[in-house]
Amino acid sequence: MTAVITSPAASRQTRRAKGLATPRLLWLELRHNAMAWLVPVAIGLFWLTTYHKTVAMAPFWDVRADSLQLNAMLDFAIPVTGAAAWMGSREARSRLTDQVTITARPRWARLLIPWAATTIWALTAYLGCVAWLYVETAHQAPWGGPLWWPVVVPAVGVAAFAALGFVVGTYLPSRFTAPLATIAAFFILALSTQLIHGSQSYWNVSPIVTGPWDMGPQPGVATFYPFVPDLSIAQVMFLGGLTVALLGALGLPAGAAGRALRAAAAGLTGAGLLAAGTAVGLAGTGTLGTHGMIDIPALHDAASDRPFQYTPVCSRTAIPVCLNPAYAGYLAATAHALAPLLNQLAGLPGAPARIVQDSVTYQQGTGNCVAVLWRGPSASATSLFSVVLADQLPGPAMTAAQVGDQVASMYVPDLVTRVIGDRPGASQAQSAVARALEMSSGTSSFMSFQGPQGPNSCGPEEQGAPSQRLEVAPGTPAYAAAKRFAALPPATRHAWLMRHAAALRAGQITLAQLP
Amino acid sequence: MNVEIEGLTRRFGSATAVAAVDLRAGPGVFGLLGPNGAGKTSLLRMMATAVPPSAGTLRLLGRDPGRYGPRTEIRRMLGYLPQNPGYYPGFTVAEFVEYFALLKEVPPARIRVAVTTAIDRVGLGDRRKSRLRTLSGGMLRRAGIAQAIVNEPELLLLDEPTAGLDPEQRVAFRALLRDLGQRATVVVSTHLVEDVAAACAQVALMDQGKIVFHGTPDALAARGNGQGAGDTPIERGYSAVLAAARS
Repeated sequence: MTAVITSPAASRQTRRAKGLATPRLLWLELRHNAMAWLVPVAIGLFWLTTYHKTVAMAPFWDVRADSLQLNAMLDFAIPVTGAAAWMGSREARSRLTDQVTITARPRWARLLIPWAATTIWALTAYLGCVAWLYVETAHQAPWGGPLWWPVVVPAVGVAAFAALGFVVGTYLPSRFTAPLATIAAFFILALSTQLIHGSQSYWNVSPIVTGPWDMGPQPGVATFYPFVPDLSIAQVMFLGGLTVALLGALGLPAGAAGRALRAAAAGLTGAGLLAAGTAVGLAGTGTLGTHGMIDIPALHDAASDRPFQYTPVCSRTAIPVCLNPAYAGYLAATAHALAPLLNQLAGLPGAPARIVQDSVTYQQGTGNCVAVLWRGPSASATSLFSVVLADQLPGPAMTAAQVGDQVASMYVPDLVTRVIGDRPGASQAQSAVARALEMSSGTSSFMSFQGPQGPNSCGPEEQGAPSQRLEVAPGTPAYAAAKRFAALPPATRHAWLMRHAAALRAGQITLAQLP
Repeated sequence: MNVEIEGLTRRFGSATAVAAVDLRAGPGVFGLLGPNGAGKTSLLRMMATAVPPSAGTLRLLGRDPGRYGPRTEIRRMLGYLPQNPGYYPGFTVAEFVEYFALLKEVPPARIRVAVTTAIDRVGLGDRRKSRLRTLSGGMLRRAGIAQAIVNEPELLLLDEPTAGLDPEQRVAFRALLRDLGQRATVVVSTHLVEDVAAACAQVALMDQGKIVFHGTPDALAARGNGQGAGDTPIERGYSAVLAAARS
């Protein structure tokens, strides 16, 4: 029997050879990878289904990032699954199994390289597309910065689906494996959200879920409060664990590697499955937070519940209208819609010193229904008057002008009520002046705001008592007085109000005393 | 001895492809003859460490291929061309051979020279940048031989290496075999007995999973004196041995 002794120098040389061979093998695999051919397809899908849709949305980082995660995941995960399955089945399809099996490089180490090449191609294309979209958003968004967790989730998702396709291709090699794996990836992603029922669902671990399912991207989320990464962390843990487990499974078969490497592969598979299982469990404990994102207690950082500190953008109207800087694009239209009334109310007793934008809160309803709540205008004579913009509520996207009109519709009656005191028990003169101010501001026909209602929202709900006013019917003396008061020149009307507002609020002015 | 085989058996389900074969081979070219289905390819695949034996002992290059560490060392010094060699159509000849050099852990400093030498030795020097999908069947087989010899193996296993080669290439290939056999053990499985006669110092004839003859080509030819069918003495010896084994 010949004794075979491997010298330390020879071992070092072998290790060095392996180390230097890996980059060269990776280069060869990159040059001949199926994903290289599918990159234009993935970018085309991104352009058609993600880019166009996303840049048409309001330029809020949260909205754009949500749309990116949902759509780009589909655009890249599906092609990469097919490409990886094709690469995984390559050795068997090319009848090279025996030739590569008898080489010195362990099977596991050999197989990881084409998977890595496939993933690198897909990730490079994906990150390029993210850069494209985010640069565009950076030019449009007036405030805030990129959200990175919604970028990381699909990136890890691409690696996971590449691993899934590669393992399927390796263990079930055939010319049909790649197309079937591609179709399966589509259905896995598309169907993974069908069983979501409420915010507390294990299925929220699906990488295309970005928050309460079916609520869709909301501008109000991650604008007044920081982005809550709880669900993203669980998703990354799930996808990362799945990737590690799948890649570990490649090293499990006898002969795939030496005893130590196979033990490492088994350990990785176990650890990956444990991480993925833990992530699913964590996702199941998630609940809809008041700020519109999924909170997972075990992952939640209380710091993310503290509101952003920001300097609002304010209009130069008689009473300044101040909005969150992310909504700067809506300021001009909002101020324009409120300006006629604000000019009348400025300086009057009880008039607010400033109109400020408030955040909304979210509450889980039955099933996937999410109630959006906001504080009503303060009845007390504080110096601030809170408003929410229609774009913060569920419903179709609006133009800035539409948002301005909605603000006027929602808040002119409340502003008037606050200053004139037009409540149950008010005098006829108060009601007439209130109607006159509404008429002169162009919102007299409005009685009560019915907020936009999305398909899966429970409807917006204003917290606090809605304003209750006396009706002023046409043909009555009060109506005639209101018409007469509204017809006055704005300067005359304002001057009269400055002199008589206190008496009017106290109910000491009669209809006959109105000009 | 680079190849030491005792009682080597390989079964696929209920079929026995190789039945208790004993064989020893040192440096030089060793021919493995036999009709279709004799078990040559199964024996070669076991010697190539592509499949484990069902029974018996196998030692290659003084090592036990049943254990992972020694098997890896064997594989580093092994070249193998299967009966139906595969290839990646998009690779160039040079990339394909380099790919195998990397998998065989050829020292990085030697890879460029090793690839060039292997390609030149099989006469594909002028096609090194051609994609494999553009090559003829004979050229592909030569590319397969190049990948098998790129690591200058001490044990080279070739299964039907001359199939598809034109006469000129077959002559050149036999010269290459003789050259490789100077320092390595080259086992050539073929059913073309003239290849064996021209290049091999030792020959074994397999039938129904067993070795029915082991000796020199001249000894095989001598078995055909006055008996057997064929145009050349070695062909007559081949058929005479097979007839005797089956009687």
